Amino acid sequence: MWTTDRVAGGVLALVGLVVLEETWRLGLPLGTLHNPGPGYTPVVLSLILLGFGAAVAALGGGAQGMRTVEWTEWRHAVAILGACAFAALALERIGFRLTMAVILAFLVGVVERKPLLLTAVFTAVFSLGAFFLFDTMLRVPLPRGPLGF
Amino acid sequence: MTALRALALALLAACALAPLAAAQDAYPSRPITIVAPFPPGGVADLHARPLAAAMEKVLKNPVAVVNKTGAAGAVGMQFVATSRPDGYTLLLALSSISIIPEADRLFGRQPAFTVDQFEPIALLSADPTILVVRAESPWKTAREFIEDARKRPGQISFSSSGVYGTLHMAMELLSSAAGIKMRHVPYGGAGPAITAILGGHVDALASGPAAVVAHIQSGKLRPLATWGDRRLASMPDLPTFKELGYPDAEFYIWAGLFAPKGVPEPALAKLRDAVRAAVKEPEFTGAMEKMQTPIAFKQGEEFRKFFDADARRLADGVRRVGRIEEKK
Amino acid sequence: MLETFHNLYLGFAVALAPSVLLYAFVGCLIGTVVGVLPGVGPLAGISLLLPATFGLDATRAIVMLAGIYYGAMYGGSTTSILMRIPGEAASVMTCIDGYAMARRGRAGPALAVAAVGSYLAGTVSIVALMFLAPPLASFALRFGPPEYFALLLLGLLVLAYMSSGSMVRSLAMAALGLLLGMVGIDQMTGYFRFAYGVVELGDGIGVVPVAVGLFGISEILATAGQARPPEVLKPRLRELLPSRREWRESFGAIWRGTGLGFLIGIIPGSAHVISSFVSYAVERRLSRTPEAFGKGAVAGVAGPESANNAATSGAFVPMLALGVPSGPIPAVMLAAMMVHGVTPGPLLINQQPALFWGFIASMYVGNVVLLILNLPLVGLFVNLLRVPYPLLYPGIIVFCVLGVYAVNSSVVDVWIMVAMGLLGYVLRKLDFEPAPIVLGLILAPMIEMSLRQSLAMSDGHYAVFLTRPIAATLLAVGLVLVLLSLRPLVTRTLDWRTRLAMVEKGEEL
Repeated sequence: MWTTDRVAGGVLALVGLVVLEETWRLGLPLGTLHNPGPGYTPVVLSLILLGFGAAVAALGGGAQGMRTVEWTEWRHAVAILGACAFAALALERIGFRLTMAVILAFLVGVVERKPLLLTAVFTAVFSLGAFFLFDTMLRVPLPRGPLGF
Repeated sequence: MTALRALALALLAACALAPLAAAQDAYPSRPITIVAPFPPGGVADLHARPLAAAMEKVLKNPVAVVNKTGAAGAVGMQFVATSRPDGYTLLLALSSISIIPEADRLFGRQPAFTVDQFEPIALLSADPTILVVRAESPWKTAREFIEDARKRPGQISFSSSGVYGTLHMAMELLSSAAGIKMRHVPYGGAGPAITAILGGHVDALASGPAAVVAHIQSGKLRPLATWGDRRLASMPDLPTFKELGYPDAEFYIWAGLFAPKGVPEPALAKLRDAVRAAVKEPEFTGAMEKMQTPIAFKQGEEFRKFFDADARRLADGVRRVGRIEEKK
Repeated sequence: MLETFHNLYLGFAVALAPSVLLYAFVGCLIGTVVGVLPGVGPLAGISLLLPATFGLDATRAIVMLAGIYYGAMYGGSTTSILMRIPGEAASVMTCIDGYAMARRGRAGPALAVAAVGSYLAGTVSIVALMFLAPPLASFALRFGPPEYFALLLLGLLVLAYMSSGSMVRSLAMAALGLLLGMVGIDQMTGYFRFAYGVVELGDGIGVVPVAVGLFGISEILATAGQARPPEVLKPRLRELLPSRREWRESFGAIWRGTGLGFLIGIIPGSAHVISSFVSYAVERRLSRTPEAFGKGAVAGVAGPESANNAATSGAFVPMLALGVPSGPIPAVMLAAMMVHGVTPGPLLINQQPALFWGFIASMYVGNVVLLILNLPLVGLFVNLLRVPYPLLYPGIIVFCVLGVYAVNSSVVDVWIMVAMGLLGYVLRKLDFEPAPIVLGLILAPMIEMSLRQSLAMSDGHYAVFLTRPIAATLLAVGLVLVLLSLRPLVTRTLDWRTRLAMVEKGEEL
């Protein structure tokens, strides 16, 4: 009953509805056909998305069932996403090198369970090396932490 | 795992101790960052980089330029407004600094930043905009242009770098001073706006002189007047709108250095002196000359007066433009 | 004609001077490194190194910056093919078939075809640039908002050819991408749309974080936790070069990509990003084996890569011939010229022949340098794939975060990348293609802006699209294409999609 297409189509149609509601709530003027306002195109596009989402859901009877979709690697995926989110949070707070060191240590040492020495060496070389190559040599400004490191 | 745990603890300790380490050393003891809120190659950037190089020489301390672009400059400006006022983060702002908070207020938004979150340090240049039209157009003087605009309201089109942007506001000031109404076609930046008039898609453009001087020389564009309060040294035949009887049409694309409010006085004083010396350095003067932008250095009271007057004019202009949607 | 060759000779004399050559080489090298890094594209590379050129004279500075631009284009294809991470928006299409080829052990040929295609495209477009710059530039200037709108609408048609799955699903993805493009400041009225107080979203959701997240991060998310790590194929030297069949298949694609890319590139604006998308669609349409696309068709790499490079050279046409900034990158180059005291403009060719012809000659040189740099590096890069995946992917993540952050020094971009990574992962599981999202994201703001600008120019009259010859022609072409694709419904011949579906089901045609 729950096929991938039905679920996905339903979600997309829902997104279209949400955008419609937000456009109305934010009070974006619609304007006219001869002078479209800021709200005009979002409304048109969300209606289109709504339409296609509904179409996908309606025609989606023959798609793969949701139960057969494999999520076996979800733990790994969550860990990696968590590491990336941590990077976003910490990058400008503790600086590039520390953030990357933490991420690498986490991913290589904890998630992938590599031996400690390899983790430490890899982490140090990569985070310091990437910083050196881009910040020092190529002058791509990368954030430094509060200590200036 | 204990080794990793120890590492994590050490990192946390370092972060905790960090504020203490930001010691009371003599200013400046760390690299200074000048934030340019516009993309590289733009006016702000082209002022910031030579200035940084000159200041580095004067202060004997590294000064770097970081581009934080977005939202017509609002991203970079907000960043500096909310940064720590320790004198290590500065802003190279253009005249849009007065426009953006006003536009925010117009739309009922929480302003991204306000002008009083900044402490002005110095004005670097103040290029008056000039009015250019295509060489093939029938107007040979500014008066003809204004007369024609009065006769055919809303028929003459002009391009700009964006709605409420500097090039738009310049035209707005002229429109309200001369009582004319023109058709506005916004583009995504000064470059596209110039391309548009060169391609014949619009009739007029307000632009900084340096950007269009090549096209004037090659005969593609014709300058009609300038928004400055005196004639340009590079184009002495160009009348000012003041001369033509519209003193309110005064607009400069200026660039100035700002710091967030609250920077301690000793650091501020050092910065002011440094900038005063830096604008005389060949790194800066040479770059400005190559870009054909005259240096207009102002500090202290002089700058404040200029800034306040300019901000007032622009705020009025923005309010007059109103919300575009409501006019139609 | 003779004068052109004479000037070119002078130009080469300038360009092959050892010091200038050195700077071209340095530029290409830096460009390749910058291009290999996901996210940080040529614009960021050039702008970051602009200050380093202040001490040089104009010719050397321009030559180095142009080298960076080209190098980044070449480098972008490397990460796309090897790791499915687009170096910049223009490399998104290379990710699809290039990565599929790499998984089949044909990474070397994919890289080689990309390098050679880019070289040929670059060289041919430079020749066109040389002879045709001024008239082409005047033509390009006539593209105003109505023409732009018509062209971009044509670009939307490309969507039909982007994925092999059901049309409805890819259109739904495109609609999602189009809607995502609505975030940001409305440039016609100044309203903040869907930014919810986050100032960094004022310019919209960036293409780079979206592309890197949807393709690169999602690939890592899907592969990293697999019980069986991806096979590390160890290709032999012979397998590093494309086979005869692969050369034959890429031949036409390269030339078509070059023509298409160059024409799209000369149009002022950011349209040249869509050149690789259009080339992919054209190749797929013309191919005898459309079902191979998406699974590693060499034409799907050769076409977009050539189009990419040709568009890069095309972008220089308005810049050099008229001094018009036709996009953000030429704008930076123009600024670089101004900083060095060179006034760009229509008189540039006459006033500064050494600069102009030296620049052209250095582009030739640059292309050769990059070919020489990249071909042997093919072996080196392919060996990178041998690093055990559990060590490789954390490194890739570091570079993705670095690249995406460095574009705008913005953490918001990193967040977008994370969100898009999650979205891409889920889409993979549900069997949806992410490429249309990227195209929609790029096209939506441009289409909307040009429509409203056109209406502003004409005071609300839609007739403007019909009274301007170029716009009307483009719209007519689009209409014809749409009608042609509907032909199967009328004549009851089998559409290529139906044929594709039948082949996949193993039925008789």
